[in-house]
Amino acid sequence: MLTSKQVIALLQGAGSTLQLTLLAIVFGIVLGLFLALGRISRNKIINTICWIYIWIFRGTPLLLQILVVYYALPQYGIMLDAFPSAIIALSLNSGAYLAETIRAAIQSIDKGQMEASKALGMSYYQAMFKVIIPQSYRRLIPPVGNEMIMLLKDSSLVSAIGMAELLRNAKVMANSSADAVFYVYAAVIYLFFTSLLTLMFQRLEKRYSIYE
Amino acid sequence: MIKLKNIYKSFGQLEVLKGIDLDIHKSEVVCVIGPSGSGKSTLLRCLNQLERITSGDIYINGELIDHAEEGKNQLHLPQKKISEVCAELGMVFQRFNLFPHMTVLENVTCAPVMVKKEGKKEAEDYALDLLDRVGLLDKKDEYPSRLSGGQQQRVAIARALAMRPQIMLFDEPTSALDPELVGEVLEVMKKLAEEGMTMIVVTHEMGFAEEVGTRVIFMDEGKIVEQDDPKKFFAHPKTERAKAFLGKMPGVYSRTS
Repeated sequence: MLTSKQVIALLQGAGSTLQLTLLAIVFGIVLGLFLALGRISRNKIINTICWIYIWIFRGTPLLLQILVVYYALPQYGIMLDAFPSAIIALSLNSGAYLAETIRAAIQSIDKGQMEASKALGMSYYQAMFKVIIPQSYRRLIPPVGNEMIMLLKDSSLVSAIGMAELLRNAKVMANSSADAVFYVYAAVIYLFFTSLLTLMFQRLEKRYSIYE
Repeated sequence: MIKLKNIYKSFGQLEVLKGIDLDIHKSEVVCVIGPSGSGKSTLLRCLNQLERITSGDIYINGELIDHAEEGKNQLHLPQKKISEVCAELGMVFQRFNLFPHMTVLENVTCAPVMVKKEGKKEAEDYALDLLDRVGLLDKKDEYPSRLSGGQQQRVAIARALAMRPQIMLFDEPTSALDPELVGEVLEVMKKLAEEGMTMIVVTHEMGFAEEVGTRVIFMDEGKIVEQDDPKKFFAHPKTERAKAFLGKMPGVYSRTS
């Protein structure tokens, strides 16, 4: 049976994993929104900068990004602990993925909505934030749910910089006790979280479908 | 109130408006008719800056708001100024374009609160008054998707009126409606005209143009071909193209032939 110490280690790991996922998705959504607006923008410079950002962060492995933030930035005088490094890398990465999702959702809203807003005298940003983006929420719920599940699982990659998250704690215990069952425990906890997220996002989707 | 001088508009190679001159005075109800592709809708959309003209001048209330030459806007008004002037023009679209995530009441109050910075209470009082006038007070808390097309269009009219515009533009307001719903929308528009609202109506409803219009403009291939008093126009169109166009209209045919 599990000792109380082992249970605590597993739960602490699960807590870290959850924390990483939640923070990264929140920062990722904010970043993704600005990147998406940049990609829609007619300003060529802003547009290109956002395009390059997305191109880099979607085109290189997340593990590499995590390693760069943690090991390469100190060479330029930026020293970060493992936890903030992990959050930054995960957020920067999910922002790039979410940007394209958010851009597509915004552009799928009927053009008449922007025209009606302009005809009523609204500015571009008033129309965007009060009319267009709120309508894209419902379309965003499934892909954001997907991204969050990916993040939850990919957050295990931060064990590479020594962060004590769920998988790393399980691995440490498996090694020290020579019992692979700890991986099963970790798997069960991951499954529990992903199922919870799936359920939550299904609920959200239903709630936002009232007006369609 | 509106003066258009030599308006041209092209989309790439396609020239849609070819030299439109037009004066519109207070309380006129100008009905713009003509075959599809004749540039009627584009004309309205240029007026409230949804499209930018290729060349020409647009004056609204004596103020030059757009001046372009050879595809270049020569008058660099700040966006804020353009929005202000456009707010004097209420627009009703063929496909309503209500905001689906807002209730009927929110649809009507959102622009006055956001753009004119009206107080919420003030905006709501006026919105309720407007909804009453279009006969939809009891629907104020519904979402647009729960309304019929005719009801949605009446909400759209109320929404445009909420900005207290001086001029109302209607872009084929009944073309997307089932035939039995057309009447209720035209009724609201007629009431508006009787109250003295200045209106430009792009329409295929010849009956409305004849009964409510104070002037009919017949457009074809990007030009104003003929304009006249509606009664005279429908009884005795002068140009061959207007005769041919009216001849194809069911119900009008009997009178023109």
